[in-house]
Amino acid sequence: MKKIIFLLIVIALCSQSQAQEFAKRLTEAKTAYSSGKLDDSRFAMEQMLQELDIITGKEVLKILPAKMGDKAANTKADNVTGSSGFFGVIIHREYGTIDSSNVDLEIISNSPLVSSLNALLSVPFMGSAGDNKTIKISGYKALVQKVTGPNERADYEVQLPLNTTLITLKAPGLSQDDVIKLANTLPVADIAKMLQ
Amino acid sequence: MLSAANGQGILKKLKDKAQQATDKMIDKKIDDAVGVDNNSNNNNSNSNSNSTDMSSVGRKGKPSNKTGEGLISTPPNVNENLTTADASFKAGKYSDARYATRQAMLGVQMEIGKKLLDGLPETISGLKKDASSDKVTSAGWGMGWSGLTIQRDYNQDDKQLSFTIANNAMWMQAVNMYFTNSGYMQTSGGEQKWKQVRVQDEKAIIEFDASSGYKLSVPVGQTTLLIYEGVNFANEQDFMNAVNQIKIDSIKKQLGEK
Repeated sequence: MKKIIFLLIVIALCSQSQAQEFAKRLTEAKTAYSSGKLDDSRFAMEQMLQELDIITGKEVLKILPAKMGDKAANTKADNVTGSSGFFGVIIHREYGTIDSSNVDLEIISNSPLVSSLNALLSVPFMGSAGDNKTIKISGYKALVQKVTGPNERADYEVQLPLNTTLITLKAPGLSQDDVIKLANTLPVADIAKMLQ
Repeated sequence: MLSAANGQGILKKLKDKAQQATDKMIDKKIDDAVGVDNNSNNNNSNSNSNSTDMSSVGRKGKPSNKTGEGLISTPPNVNENLTTADASFKAGKYSDARYATRQAMLGVQMEIGKKLLDGLPETISGLKKDASSDKVTSAGWGMGWSGLTIQRDYNQDDKQLSFTIANNAMWMQAVNMYFTNSGYMQTSGGEQKWKQVRVQDEKAIIEFDASSGYKLSVPVGQTTLLIYEGVNFANEQDFMNAVNQIKIDSIKKQLGEK
């Protein structure tokens, strides 16, 4: 019980410090702008966006399922990295504690690279060609792909693009149907709302 | 050696043919999927350029637009958007805070662009500025993506100098590659297509192409690329004289580059 309370206090302090950082950058942006230092103002705004990305990423982690199938979330491995731009922000969550069979969930947000996958899904015969299959997860179009696992095993991963966000779910050792079932437990609509 | 070269040539031709056939097939499938009839499309393209517009596919008798003043191009208000970002953040609406911050960034980028254009010379080597070509483009992404682009043209008869400033541009990495990759070597024999030069203490690359003329690319600081394109300049010196009338130091200062 003491540990839980301690953890809650640490989380609260972290969010507070990030909020303070955002407020600090906002003041910097305003001051630099009013004194005509446009580039400094722009730089402060870039940092504001970084803070927002990290905060939003942490909020997304909070709404992810606590379990995927029989595997519990390994919250110690939770991570939010990167910054807005070409490669976007990566939100990472693992389920299970054995590397070879962990279910990995990765959400890349604010990445213009994602638009290419959207294009693939908009042309039906291309999305469903070869080892790819177009499916729907909570009403959103997604792509389930066959990938080669250890010892030539057929593994599957689901990719779901949402404008400039890409959700990727990898579940080594599971069948295509089971991976799709796991993907269906994701709160996609809520994630989309938070990251739009 | 000769037979190996011939073999490679044949393989390349086969690869090209296969690529062409694949492209044709994909185009046809896409046309079938969206319901575009290639023949009718081609026939109509001369009489009405709007026929290829997806919004009018299958609609007959659509009137053509004759009025409207276009869109208002006022840049977003920076202070207003920063205030909105603050309020949204405090209310936990992070998505709204992000949108407002990006709008504020867009506004400030447009102002930076306008200031830079105002600081450029009115004439360069007898070429007058073409104010109608002045353009400031901001993608609003701010970091890493296409960032801020500023363009200005100078013209006199068929001679032209186009100047572009790309700030926070991802593709400036490509130019830096010229300086760091030993594979891009300068040659002393044959026709010289490009070479490294120094412009106002900055390392740069000058290129010449018979059809497009001279092009000079100058990476500046960490995230800025200056591009000068000269059409119908007598020689390299003539082009460089024009280039040197734009002061790089002043641009660096305004963009916060070191």
